[in-house]
Amino acid sequence: MTDEILTGADQYETLFGVEEMELNFGPQHPATHGVLRLKMKIDGERIVDCYPIIGYLHRGTEKLFELHPFFQNVPHTDRMDYVAAATNNLAYVGAVEKLLGLVVPPRARYIRTILSELQRISSHLLWLATHAIDIGAMTPFFYTFRERELVLDLFEEYCGARLTLNCMRPGGQPYDLTVGWAEKSAAFVDSFPAKVDEYEGLLTENRIWKKRTIGIGMLPPEVALEYGVTGPMLRGSGIQWDIRKAMPYEAYDEVEFEVPVFTNCDTYDRYLVRMEEMRQSASIVKQCLDKLPEGPIMAKRPRVLKAPKEGEVYHSVEGPKGEIGFYIVGDGTANPYRCRVRPPSLYNIQVLPEMVRGGLIADLVAVIGTTDIVLGEVDR
Amino acid sequence: MKRLLDKIMLLDLFAGLGITFRHLWKRKVTVQYPEERMEPAHRFRGMFRLDEDRCIKCTLCARDCPIDIIYIDWHQEVNPETEKKEKLLDRFDIDIQRCMFCGLCEEACPTTPKSIWLTSKTYELASYERWQNLFVDMEELQDWKIRPKYTDEEIA
Amino acid sequence: MEGIKEVIGPTLFHYALAPALKIAVLLVAVLTLIAYTTFAERKILGFLQVRTGPNRVGPWGVLQPIADVAKLLVKQDIMPTQAVRWAYVLAPCLVVGPALVIFSVIPFGPSAEVTGNMNWFITDVNVGLLFVVAMATIGVYGLILGGWASNNKFSLLGGLRSAAQMISYEVPQGFSLVVPLLMAGTMSLSGIVDAQIEQGRWFVFAFFPFGLLAFFIYFVAGVAESNRNPFDLPEAESELVAGFHTEYSGMRFALFFLGEYANMIVISAVAVTLFLGGWSRPFSSVESLSFLDLGFLPGGMGGLVWFTLKLLVFLFVYIWFRGTFPRYRFDQLMDLGWKWMIPAALIAIAGTGLFKILIR
Repeated sequence: MTDEILTGADQYETLFGVEEMELNFGPQHPATHGVLRLKMKIDGERIVDCYPIIGYLHRGTEKLFELHPFFQNVPHTDRMDYVAAATNNLAYVGAVEKLLGLVVPPRARYIRTILSELQRISSHLLWLATHAIDIGAMTPFFYTFRERELVLDLFEEYCGARLTLNCMRPGGQPYDLTVGWAEKSAAFVDSFPAKVDEYEGLLTENRIWKKRTIGIGMLPPEVALEYGVTGPMLRGSGIQWDIRKAMPYEAYDEVEFEVPVFTNCDTYDRYLVRMEEMRQSASIVKQCLDKLPEGPIMAKRPRVLKAPKEGEVYHSVEGPKGEIGFYIVGDGTANPYRCRVRPPSLYNIQVLPEMVRGGLIADLVAVIGTTDIVLGEVDR
Repeated sequence: MKRLLDKIMLLDLFAGLGITFRHLWKRKVTVQYPEERMEPAHRFRGMFRLDEDRCIKCTLCARDCPIDIIYIDWHQEVNPETEKKEKLLDRFDIDIQRCMFCGLCEEACPTTPKSIWLTSKTYELASYERWQNLFVDMEELQDWKIRPKYTDEEIA
Repeated sequence: MEGIKEVIGPTLFHYALAPALKIAVLLVAVLTLIAYTTFAERKILGFLQVRTGPNRVGPWGVLQPIADVAKLLVKQDIMPTQAVRWAYVLAPCLVVGPALVIFSVIPFGPSAEVTGNMNWFITDVNVGLLFVVAMATIGVYGLILGGWASNNKFSLLGGLRSAAQMISYEVPQGFSLVVPLLMAGTMSLSGIVDAQIEQGRWFVFAFFPFGLLAFFIYFVAGVAESNRNPFDLPEAESELVAGFHTEYSGMRFALFFLGEYANMIVISAVAVTLFLGGWSRPFSSVESLSFLDLGFLPGGMGGLVWFTLKLLVFLFVYIWFRGTFPRYRFDQLMDLGWKWMIPAALIAIAGTGLFKILIR
């Protein structure tokens, strides 16, 4: 079965006419960031073809969405991209609000922006940790996790959990900021750019890092657009597309920030994109904290949220990994009729064979790291 | 010229070495666990507590649970002392195997102060037997003889 | 001591008993040093990564290596059914043995003429340098056999890569060893140390910059030889699980592990001897600093103290490299070895030769 699906390898002539080895980069492997299985055909060290097999973490999330009312589904969305839970929540409640026509008060919008950007910082810190450790540098892992602890402490103080946040509701926010939270986050984002400089000092100019990442995992922009890749993968290939600028939501049209775009289409550029994004996120949080308006945090909404009959909506946000979208169909009851998720990692992982064909196995690990996939999202 | 010198003298590698060397002298972030314990924040969603007296048996918490793990039974009785009808709780069980500690039950509870709350700051929920502490019933939710470390705090 | 000498006769004493005792003491010392190098690595890596290393097993975790050894000894000895038995058993021994044998020619202190009673080395082969290179090369067989004998695709890949890496770094290592040979004029290791004392400076600072270049090339080639970061692709955890020693467990794995650290220590020891003056004190020509000779220690032990201090500095640098750098990809590693280090080593040799002619 897999011989038919593996394309491009039919007429491959190996040097000296020897056979290719079929290698299973199995679901249990330290480098695959979750339970991803890759069936690879390799010739010595060169990868001839690669076929990702997913589904090892499928939990039926979309079916679960159909069984409960709208506001009860927010915890389920946390668990899809478990590294960046706030943006998942944001996409879902944004879609529900669009469907039901709720208007979110400004204070809640600002708080949501702050949480979403803090989550972006935390997710990129995790990405840097795992990417560096796959390429062999062990210490950035510990340094980034030290910063990540601070972010998680902020989240814990706000909504009670560190990873599966459940911090947004359709219509606004459940809790207001605690006393002192704004000062703590301001202190964090003030000290953060110095830490990013530290990570860059260890990696960006390092000749070994450059040799491992420049020219690896080339993703031409046409291929990226064809496959529907979004997020830093797209911006590393030179295409300027960020939903926060193109279709602003929450408070993004009221803050100033830049979207980094680099044009070399390789791993090193995607690394630079994400590092710059971390700095920009810190500046967005600072601006939002300065401008935070007073007011209510929850919109006026009916006791039971009923969807309109035959209403359907698609709402997407810019998550740390790409565009997370929710397509919700309502049928007049309190439960959604169908709730389809557009997970960014699923579309990003489709280009993996394109990026590694012809490369070495060592490059495969670097490329999986730069794709920044979270299997919870790919499989739902 | 400077780039050539940089390349030969390996300055970028020495910069990296310098950064890690500086970290040798910094304060370590390790928390020595059983001796030092990190105290969670005030709103931390830990293990449950129930207060039967405050509970009005509205079953809103059971209805709002996303995974339907709260089982409530109540019946009405005439209280011989006050001669009024009142509700009595027969069963209030929570299935801890599936609970994700999302806090929706706490949000749904209409009493003030809440009758079910999660801010007990307990996250050490391990037990030695498989069958222990998987279903928590009414008495355990209130007394908690099995969980010595918790704060008796009520939420704000 | 004198009594025993009379009983068994002077030849037997000098050629059998004394070396046997020295070997026994050396083995115990080296094995302890290896075990505590593993501990130091975990601790220092922890400190570099802003965390404490192991600290439960004794005060500050000092008994950790003993716990590790005990664990490895009682582990179940698994052998895959399809594995090639003789190769599987022989491979760890081939890695550890040669590394330990090199210690027999390294001078830890002055010879008997200076101290009066005892040589501070086990033997002084007059082609010591050649012996060192030869023994280092035998270590490659152990890795290839280990990778092949496990009957596992991943291990095979790891073993082949490791073998290719080690063989290609033998060449620059050998070349860079010619430089102290030229500077000293003798191949015997204690002769080279004596030459450094005579010339009054360590060879790493001689004929600047060629001594430094040779030292640098030797050390980097040494890091590659012992499969350490940044050249540790054969045992890269994130790619091939554990490379050629995936299928080994228990004492066999302990031997591989021991072999890697023994290699590390041996390369450091040879670097100290050849480039950093061995057991001599810094500024050995300056008379006013002669108290640094630590003459108050009995029987010339001052040399051993200096040797150990320099060795520990090298071990720290090994661990420091591991904590800082990412890993080179395999073909880039080979590129580095063949395209950059060999020409640099040849330049070092040519430069040293030129210096020697001009100075004479």
